[in-house]
Amino acid sequence: MTPSLENLQHALKKLPGLGYRSAERVALHLLLEKPESLPALVEALQSAAAAVRRCDRCGHLAEDDLCAICQDEKREPSVVCVVENVPDVVALERSGAYRGSYHVLHGKLSPLQGIGPDQLNLSSFKTRLEAGAIDEVILALSNDVEGEATCHFLTSEIIPMGGQIKVTRIGFGLPSGGGVLYADSVTLKSALEGRRGYA
Amino acid sequence: MKVRAIGLQDFRNVAGARLEFEGRLQFLVGANGQGKTNLLEAVGFITALRSFRSNDQSSLVRHGEREGAIACDIEHETEGASNLRVNFKPGTKEAWLDGTKVTRLAEVIGRFPTVVFSSQDQQLVRGSPGDRRRWLDLTLSATDREYLKALQAYHRALADRNALLKRSGSDAELEAFERVMADQGMVLIERRREALAELAIGLTERYAMIADHAETAGFAYAPQVAAPDGAALLAKFAGGRARDRILKSTGSGPHRDDFDFLLHEKPAKEFASEGQQRALVLSLRLAQAAWFRSRSKIEPVLLADDVLGELDPSRRERFWSAIPADSQVIATGTVPPDAALGEWQVFQVANGLFAPATPPPPVASR
Repeated sequence: MTPSLENLQHALKKLPGLGYRSAERVALHLLLEKPESLPALVEALQSAAAAVRRCDRCGHLAEDDLCAICQDEKREPSVVCVVENVPDVVALERSGAYRGSYHVLHGKLSPLQGIGPDQLNLSSFKTRLEAGAIDEVILALSNDVEGEATCHFLTSEIIPMGGQIKVTRIGFGLPSGGGVLYADSVTLKSALEGRRGYA
Repeated sequence: MKVRAIGLQDFRNVAGARLEFEGRLQFLVGANGQGKTNLLEAVGFITALRSFRSNDQSSLVRHGEREGAIACDIEHETEGASNLRVNFKPGTKEAWLDGTKVTRLAEVIGRFPTVVFSSQDQQLVRGSPGDRRRWLDLTLSATDREYLKALQAYHRALADRNALLKRSGSDAELEAFERVMADQGMVLIERRREALAELAIGLTERYAMIADHAETAGFAYAPQVAAPDGAALLAKFAGGRARDRILKSTGSGPHRDDFDFLLHEKPAKEFASEGQQRALVLSLRLAQAAWFRSRSKIEPVLLADDVLGELDPSRRERFWSAIPADSQVIATGTVPPDAALGEWQVFQVANGLFAPATPPPPVASR
């Protein structure tokens, strides 16, 4: 190992999903097996780092002031789905079921990990709400203690009271195509509580 | 349910042992400090994957070793013949059910119910509120998945709130977590109230059998808020903020709940005699076993740790008559059991070694 190779390996090891061995493998692959691919990779990293930023409006990834979803005129801007992180947007988009806009908080309230309202993407959300063009907010945060607390915080502190804006919480219950038999009791309970009119 | 065999490896003072159980009555006899209770502790561990003696897992592994294990062969009403293995590793434990690793330990909790009768049980009547809360939480968690889930969520939100108090978080942030605590806390309070009311009926019945006294026994549970009302609990948290900010921890809430044992409508802590308290905790354990059975349809295994010696012969006989005729009982003592109590399978315990007593089992009268 040379000092530069070791340096590269240390940098790679900091990436999520890469351990000591895989970092070594990637470093050796880049330098020895496919050195011709290296300039393209460096170029891609540099241009992505320069171009990708947060959308001014919703916090999703963008290359302009606004992300592709906020720019899309066919989307309904008056409905906002609030999510924790960028991968949540990707998952919801993959479902193809949602035609509104998003707001990415980049986290949730978690005092144990030192995350408070100042660490979340709330100021642009406030601006959007105050502009008055929002009719419905869908809270699609996770169904755990910190997710619930963040929903409480949003409804009491951020979303103005007075019934102008409809606030809904995403449903929790049985997975599609899943039967009642294999669901655990807590999931069944929330599925029963969240039942809706039929026929 | 019946435990058909148990194996220990580097558990407490036991380097290695395997005991095969036949019939429903097992007795471990030996001097103090030889390892009798350690074996009961291992059997009791399979219920909640927690020890009834200690919260410190590192003390469960034999001195000088890094890892230990318990393995049980179980005959179960709903699961059939099962094998549960618990491996203790530094800082963690893992469970294997029928050769498959259990990914969520909560799935095993309560599936293999045991009830421990211990000579420490009187601490439940006269000890600290924490002892009683721990008993109630463990008992409820073992039969009620929703209670366990609410308990975990409540404590997570409580830890978040305490973290906020330590770094002077805003009232709005505190309230966000207090609402979660109030939602989950109401579940805890209601389930505790329900369970104690049901257990009180069984407690009175069994106390009458053991003490031979027709006295009513029960519990006085005074939760943080009298009515099942989430708004009242929420107001309680909000009202405590000023004090909690100074103390940097949450002073009131279901995590501080307590209850008293009542005998003849009076607190047993102060008014019951030594003998009445002893009969009361024995009745409590029997009522707990019956409650388990009625909820889960599984017959718990009763683990009696040196409680027989403390009873006078007539109470001992009444205690045995209060035990369901098909329950498995694993008991310990320093002297062999009364033959009058039934056919015991006896094991001699010495220095962490277990040996089947040579038949016929020695019968001694006291």
